[in-house]
Amino acid sequence: MIGVIARNELRRRLRDRSILIGCVAAPLLMSAVLGLSFAGSSAAAALTIGVSGASHQLLTSAERASVLPAGVRVVAMPSEQALEHGVQSGELAGGVALLPRQIRLHSLLVTVVDPGATTTPGFDVVTRGTSQMGQEYAESMAAGLASVLYAGRVPRASDPGTVALTTRTVGKPGGKVDLNFFAPNIAVVFLFIGSGLGMRSLFMERSAGTLARLTAAPLRPVQIVLGKLLAIFVTGLVTIFVIWAVTTYAFGADWGDPLGVLLLALGATAAMCGLGVFLTSWAKNEQQAFGITLLVGLALALLGGNLLPSGSLPDAFQVLALGTPNGWALVGFGRLDQLGEPARSVLGPFVVLLVFAAVAGGLALTRVRRMVEP
Amino acid sequence: MPEPVGGGVITATTPRPDECATLWCAGLRKCYGERLAVDDVSFSIGARECYGLLGPNGAGKTTTISMLCGLTPPDEGQISIDGHEGGSLEAKQVVGYVPQDLALYPDLSATENLTFFGQLYGLTGKVLEGRIHETLELVGLAERRKDRIGTYSGGMKRRANMAAGLLHRPKLLVLDEPTVGVDPQSRNAILETVGALGVAVLYTTHYMEEASKLCDRIGIIDDGRLVAEGTAAGLISAHGGRDKVHLDCDASRLDELADACRRLDNVHDVREVGEHLELTTDHGPAVLPTVVAVAAARNVELTGVEVRSPNLEDVFLRLTGKELRD
Repeated sequence: MIGVIARNELRRRLRDRSILIGCVAAPLLMSAVLGLSFAGSSAAAALTIGVSGASHQLLTSAERASVLPAGVRVVAMPSEQALEHGVQSGELAGGVALLPRQIRLHSLLVTVVDPGATTTPGFDVVTRGTSQMGQEYAESMAAGLASVLYAGRVPRASDPGTVALTTRTVGKPGGKVDLNFFAPNIAVVFLFIGSGLGMRSLFMERSAGTLARLTAAPLRPVQIVLGKLLAIFVTGLVTIFVIWAVTTYAFGADWGDPLGVLLLALGATAAMCGLGVFLTSWAKNEQQAFGITLLVGLALALLGGNLLPSGSLPDAFQVLALGTPNGWALVGFGRLDQLGEPARSVLGPFVVLLVFAAVAGGLALTRVRRMVEP
Repeated sequence: MPEPVGGGVITATTPRPDECATLWCAGLRKCYGERLAVDDVSFSIGARECYGLLGPNGAGKTTTISMLCGLTPPDEGQISIDGHEGGSLEAKQVVGYVPQDLALYPDLSATENLTFFGQLYGLTGKVLEGRIHETLELVGLAERRKDRIGTYSGGMKRRANMAAGLLHRPKLLVLDEPTVGVDPQSRNAILETVGALGVAVLYTTHYMEEASKLCDRIGIIDDGRLVAEGTAAGLISAHGGRDKVHLDCDASRLDELADACRRLDNVHDVREVGEHLELTTDHGPAVLPTVVAVAAARNVELTGVEVRSPNLEDVFLRLTGKELRD
């Protein structure tokens, strides 16, 4: 019976085109915007940004994650003092100093949940750029470093004194690294919005009277609710797969190991759908459900780091981000697309997402069940 | 609040009737906050019997139905449907519920709607296809089966709504005001369909003509209480009062004619109502020739004569003190 209800839900949403709009058209549009925004190379004046305190591995990963156009060079500096001197002398357009002394709660949390993760250092941005562009690129590099550190997989920065001074040109032709970062994050936000819109269907059924007919049928209330949740889960998966496919095949994004992406897609969809359904179940009508979906969706996107790299947010927000399923999805996707790690590296975030799904889904089930049971 | 009248009312202490009753309920009570929606309602419906629940809007008809169909639990009382406890999956399986509002998906066709609802009742494959065809034929929608419900007229939607309740061949069909806002053609089609079903039917309406025409027995409900129950004729006989004969004549001769009529044996009461005369009698058609003769003997020209027998509206008015459509 759960399958019957889910199929009917999907058929109805196909027929009224809400699935086509919410799960295909909107993700396609967003994918296109992301692709066109980040996949094309942008010209920039030749500028050099210095980074101190970062290991070679960390710097390499951060290069991939940062939002730097072609033409901007990143150089590793042997010490914070050297970095500051370079900025002051004008040799560097801006710089980022990584300060390994700080211990962050976020790093500890990731380590607890996922033993494979390592404690990461804090960092500071030397904001004295020699120009506005220099300062912005320094901050972008810091955001890239933050994103990598947030994924919790990068070894400690080496002793600054042992880092050789190397100079490399960074910023890959095509700038796909940015698309790699944003595409999964936006997809996760869409999951929440899609689940909220799916809940509207239940409110519409109630106002249309069909819910009464379902309740009068020989069904247990939990079957009705699970049928609805299954339909919402399926539409969520379609959404994330559409964004994955389009950004990958049309714009050349690389989300990383497909198996890992699949795991995270399943986990994130389950968690975000559970949370979305639970939160919108507090609404009294479909208009309220729509409002809750948008407001909470936006708040989660900001809090979870889907719009801004979490690592660039204040410490407290980085911790709060790990209280959201999208924050953990971000950690997982970061390991895949920015660090190039294999699928097994996302098992920790995947398990956390499943826990989110179980808790939020259980609460959602309880709440929504009250809407349909006699 | 008028006290329950009429010997047909079953109370909560009424012993359970024989096993033939498809529906049996006793002492149903339901409150919504402070408001008492249904209070001590008890009745039964036999197999193939059509039972009408007659009452104005807000009388408690829909709440009673909701409890019987398992949509809301009663605060007190017992329900048995075909031997199963009310609200159980077994009871729901044998009930066909046709809600007052159109409860179908407007973006889906009639066939798609019926397929879905049929599957909920365990129908599949060829059996389901056959039932859908038969049911749409029955309600006269076979030719429009592939059209979306949203494109149907109001009457067609009502018929489709009923088809969804009939599909699984229920033993008890519950129809909650199925003809409200329906054109006469569709209304007749619905009434004919219900009349031909041959299953136990619980039919709520505030149209007394429908109740009189369709129902073997009628329960009158007001302010959540079942105030009387019986056949239409029995209720009218017991509670409808006497025939009324209305006479129109020259206003200057009204008093003279009234005095003459008061002397007639079978006339119990004579009242002047505006410019008319209203006679109360046991049998209006029998008295009428005498009245006409009395008027003629006095050269009073009758410009209008009407004999009106009591109906369920009068029964309701006498039992509750209010109009049926209040």
